Amino acid sequence: MMEQDAFGKCHPAVNFLFFVGAIGFGVLIQHPVYLAAGALCAGIYYMLLHGAQGWKRILQLLPLFVLLTLINPLFNIQGERVLFDVFGRPYTLEALIYGADVAGIFVVMLLWFGCYNRILTGDKFTSLFGNWIPAISLLLVMVFRMVPGLMGKSKQIAAARRSVGKGVGTSTRQKLDAGMAVLSALISWALEGSVVTGDSMRARGYGTAKRTSFQLYRMTVRDGLLLATMMFLGASVIGVAVMGGMGAEFTPRLQIAPVSGWSVLGLAAYCLFLLIPTAMHCKEALQWSISKLKI
Amino acid sequence: MKKSHMASILTFLLLVPATLYLGTRLPGRSYYITSTLIIIELMIPFFLAYEGRRPQARELVLIAVMAAAAIASRVAIPLPHFKPVFAVIILSGVVFGPEAGFMVGAITAFASNFFYGQGSFTPWQMMAFGAGGMLAGFVFQKKGLPRKPWIIAAFGFLTVVLWIGPLLDCSHIFLIMSKISWEAVLAVLLAGFYANISQAICTVITLLLFGKPILEKLDRVRIKYGMTN
Repeated sequence: MMEQDAFGKCHPAVNFLFFVGAIGFGVLIQHPVYLAAGALCAGIYYMLLHGAQGWKRILQLLPLFVLLTLINPLFNIQGERVLFDVFGRPYTLEALIYGADVAGIFVVMLLWFGCYNRILTGDKFTSLFGNWIPAISLLLVMVFRMVPGLMGKSKQIAAARRSVGKGVGTSTRQKLDAGMAVLSALISWALEGSVVTGDSMRARGYGTAKRTSFQLYRMTVRDGLLLATMMFLGASVIGVAVMGGMGAEFTPRLQIAPVSGWSVLGLAAYCLFLLIPTAMHCKEALQWSISKLKI
Repeated sequence: MKKSHMASILTFLLLVPATLYLGTRLPGRSYYITSTLIIIELMIPFFLAYEGRRPQARELVLIAVMAAAAIASRVAIPLPHFKPVFAVIILSGVVFGPEAGFMVGAITAFASNFFYGQGSFTPWQMMAFGAGGMLAGFVFQKKGLPRKPWIIAAFGFLTVVLWIGPLLDCSHIFLIMSKISWEAVLAVLLAGFYANISQAICTVITLLLFGKPILEKLDRVRIKYGMTN
């Protein structure tokens, strides 16, 4: 299992709610200022989690951003300021700006999912939903355990085939045949094993009583406070959005609500919400370096 | 009435219309969120029905094994980009019935994304694979089409090209297009066409080469251990 950072050590409910909020708001709010704030927060946390490789992956997203930006006006011909004609259709400035906005939303979402995959690992998901969907959580846990096992077994089968002179071969056809033979042997081996496992589970009393589960994660006071803070900030963002502080129309005419006066509160709440994991990460790193200095 | 039936009725009569209504009221491009929520809501009754009938240990392990085999099958075949995942899902649907087909498909999509990364497409992929496996179960029932490898292969080709590929492309249309028009939909579908065709060809090759032996094996295990569906 990967080393978790300060935010990753929180209760899975905190992690899950944060990503629901971050990704949900990120996809729904089109306002460019909010988008920029989201991109900044997502980028910072992504780099904190992925270290030196993070830079490279973020740079790899840039061509995608440019491509999506340029493609969008081809399919959205509304707008007032025509830049030039493509195939007899107008290519407008408004549609280009809209395209950049949509592409930005997509990239920010990819970044948040990159963080999600680091933080919300399989064990956290099953411990979060284990009480609501016990059979399906058990299924997932079994799959997580079986996949590495089956991959190992398929290597074992291939090695056994090599030792009797049935190596992989060089042509595509030979590789395909060898692969199919391995897959076929793998499935019969795994199926026979599954029946034994199932009977063993039944013999030990699976399904005779309600399943209890070992909880690795406990709700602490800190987790409760975090949940309350996140809900308060999220509600503030929704409130400002309902009052129209985040309205943004791009085509046919640019109509973007100004971020001033009371609607600054919405932006502040949004940024505070998104910076929660970064703040926790940095606080832990700072504490660690201070306590190292004391030695 | 059973709890799971209540949940299905509530989902179809209340939850989905409410989501659609709220979705039309939201400003801007809300169709990605709306459509994804509806996809998730449509899967809820299936999962609740499965939970509600308290599956036996054997059924659970069987589905877990088929899903794990579908995920691990990428490694078993020493060719890059050759993914027999969907072929394995179809075969489990054919042998073990529609319900097992749905569960194997949905669990395969969800669990494999824990290894290769979750994304905006996860619910769509679960729906696509699950419904594909379920359809295989319905089409190749005892009274349905004969279980000949080439018929299953043709079925696999059509499902990948007409259902799984377009559904996954749809999730992208909703995310990357500022305005939904027929041309935009067509462009994204055409852009995805090559990938969908190559995926379909992998499925067909796997089913043709591997369909007959694996069907026999699955049936043998099913009869040997008395797992009649």
